[in-house]
Amino acid sequence: MSSTPVNYDKTKSFLIDTTKCTGCRGCQVACKQWNQLKAENTTFFSGEGYQNPPLMSEYTFTRVKFKDYQKDGQNEFAFYKEMCMHCNEPACASVCPVGAFVKTPEGPVVYDAGRCIGCRFCMIACPFGIPKYEWSKAFPLVRKCTGCFSRIKEGMQPACVTACPTAISYGSRADMIKEAEKRLKNRPDRYQQTIYGKDEAGGTSIFYLTEQPLDELGFKPVTQRSLPSYTWQALRLVPGIFLTVGGGLSLLSWFTHRKERIRQEEAFKNSKVQPETTVEETREDQP
Amino acid sequence: MTAAARIIINEIKGYHNFLKFMIGLVVMGALATMARFIFGLGVTTNLNDVYPWGLWISFDVVTAVPLAAGAFTLGAIVHCFHIKKLEPLVRPAIVTGFLGYSLVCVGLLLDLGQPQRAWHTMVYWNIHSPMFEVSMCIMAYTTVLFLEFLSPVCEKFGYHVPLRVLRWLEMPLVIGAAAISTLHQSSLGTFFLIAVDKLHALWYNPLLPLLFWMSAIFTGISIIILEATMVHRYLGQPDESELLEVLTKILPWTLGAYLIVKLAATALLSHGPLYDRPSLLTLFLAELIIGIIIPMFMFMKKAYREDDRMQLRGASLVIAGVVLNRFNVSMFGMEQADQAIYYPSIIESLVTIGIIAAHVLFFVLLAKYFPIFEHHPETVDYSLPDHAHSMTAAHEHSHASGSESVH
Repeated sequence: MSSTPVNYDKTKSFLIDTTKCTGCRGCQVACKQWNQLKAENTTFFSGEGYQNPPLMSEYTFTRVKFKDYQKDGQNEFAFYKEMCMHCNEPACASVCPVGAFVKTPEGPVVYDAGRCIGCRFCMIACPFGIPKYEWSKAFPLVRKCTGCFSRIKEGMQPACVTACPTAISYGSRADMIKEAEKRLKNRPDRYQQTIYGKDEAGGTSIFYLTEQPLDELGFKPVTQRSLPSYTWQALRLVPGIFLTVGGGLSLLSWFTHRKERIRQEEAFKNSKVQPETTVEETREDQP
Repeated sequence: MTAAARIIINEIKGYHNFLKFMIGLVVMGALATMARFIFGLGVTTNLNDVYPWGLWISFDVVTAVPLAAGAFTLGAIVHCFHIKKLEPLVRPAIVTGFLGYSLVCVGLLLDLGQPQRAWHTMVYWNIHSPMFEVSMCIMAYTTVLFLEFLSPVCEKFGYHVPLRVLRWLEMPLVIGAAAISTLHQSSLGTFFLIAVDKLHALWYNPLLPLLFWMSAIFTGISIIILEATMVHRYLGQPDESELLEVLTKILPWTLGAYLIVKLAATALLSHGPLYDRPSLLTLFLAELIIGIIIPMFMFMKKAYREDDRMQLRGASLVIAGVVLNRFNVSMFGMEQADQAIYYPSIIESLVTIGIIAAHVLFFVLLAKYFPIFEHHPETVDYSLPDHAHSMTAAHEHSHASGSESVH
């Protein structure tokens, strides 16, 4: 994308400490309430363990993933609140042909349903699989977590943050990274020594601290480079290629046709026939 | 009105059964399209949140665009590289290209969730989006092809003035077509550069756009060979295999260059394991061996280049290879190991079959009613007929100077 580095330190960010999550799913309920999302008809154990609903969808912008594991012969749970990562340089915003996704200066990546043409390129591009489609409709749009942009504009915190009793801290990106690093330093035995989201996809607004290894919890391994840079390194060549191909072929045609033009002119000169000269002369004579 | 309808019905009754079958397929496709708009994408297709792009993107857009590349490739070969003897092949190629791109537009519109907003791409620009670039190019190029396609239409109806304008525009259109096609053929590859951790390493590398463009060139050439041979066999048009031999000489070079770039890019520039999924490795090798290596060695032999059956077989292999390649990139290679396998629904398949049938049908009908194969540039009368002269008699002097500049 743009070569000037933007400072994201002040953007609003989530610090989600999965070791403190109790799996109450208050965030899921708060999200549904604030965004007025329909309930889904689900059953227990349709996904992994107690995870419910089994998948995020057009009706579910966030959900808590459950991971069963054994520790010292005891059954344990690990939780992972899945939601839009609100990337610093979002892939969805870069690929959208009509620019329906915007990274706001406040932090959330918001979606303008009035622009969307429904091409689903955002769904292909998103490394976290966040944008969901209204498959039930004849003329569907995309749905995704808004980062509660409407709330934070008014100085409130996102719905899931206010609902969470234990695990989510909310604040500026710099503060949240500082806080996460502090926790990692103070209790190295409690945490995996990584902050998922700090560098993933070029940096996001959601940071996760975990006790379990990331891949065991279902975190996707994602490139550390910003995704738009992958396509931009090809797309930035477009004007140059257009001019090179157009100009090159024009020059080539000029040369290849030149031979023929010269041949024609000489053939015309050498031939005895001089058509239309009389007509031309008579015309020249009448002013 | 009824008389006109009766004439049309009688005309259709006279068609070959094959054409009637094609009409049937197109009607089925149209009905399936109606079902998509009435019941929605979710019910009528096998697409879902895990698998948002299916057959319509993989075939109707990503594969159909290189299959319609014949017009720009041949235009550049004939007019820019000035191999004039291939001229008789140009007009059928333009018709194929125009039909191909029109149907790409149809396919794209069906796949959009909000097709009535397709014009948004022209208003809300996002130059960082490969999709924006491709849709602008496809709109521009379809217009160019339409203008090129107007020539036989004007000849048919004897519109002399537009014919002169079109002839004057010929070179700019050919060069514009090649430049625009280079951009969108390659940008279709750029689409998948964003799928960093999704597209398998066998296909994901930064040279994907270049590979898409190079393969579009030899696919364009192969499509012309296929089309000219079929037209000779089934529409009773003259045998052009001598001209096609010139094209088969170009093929081993373009195929060889593609093979080198592809192998180098896969070996040197890809990240991640290449051999971890045997099924994908098989598809990768199949695409290379069927579509590149076998036809390359076939067309290196003079005896095969001159044999019209071998021309057809070689070209068909190239086309099969490129179809497999585009499906590998846009469908098979995008499926993760733990993901349920996608297969198109009946409605998706009917629509795509209808689009292919529409292409064949319209091509045959255009060939039937318009001077597409009888085109010999030296015989076309570009001069203004007498009645036009009498109209411009008052401005005879200015007209004379005008005609000088044309010649």
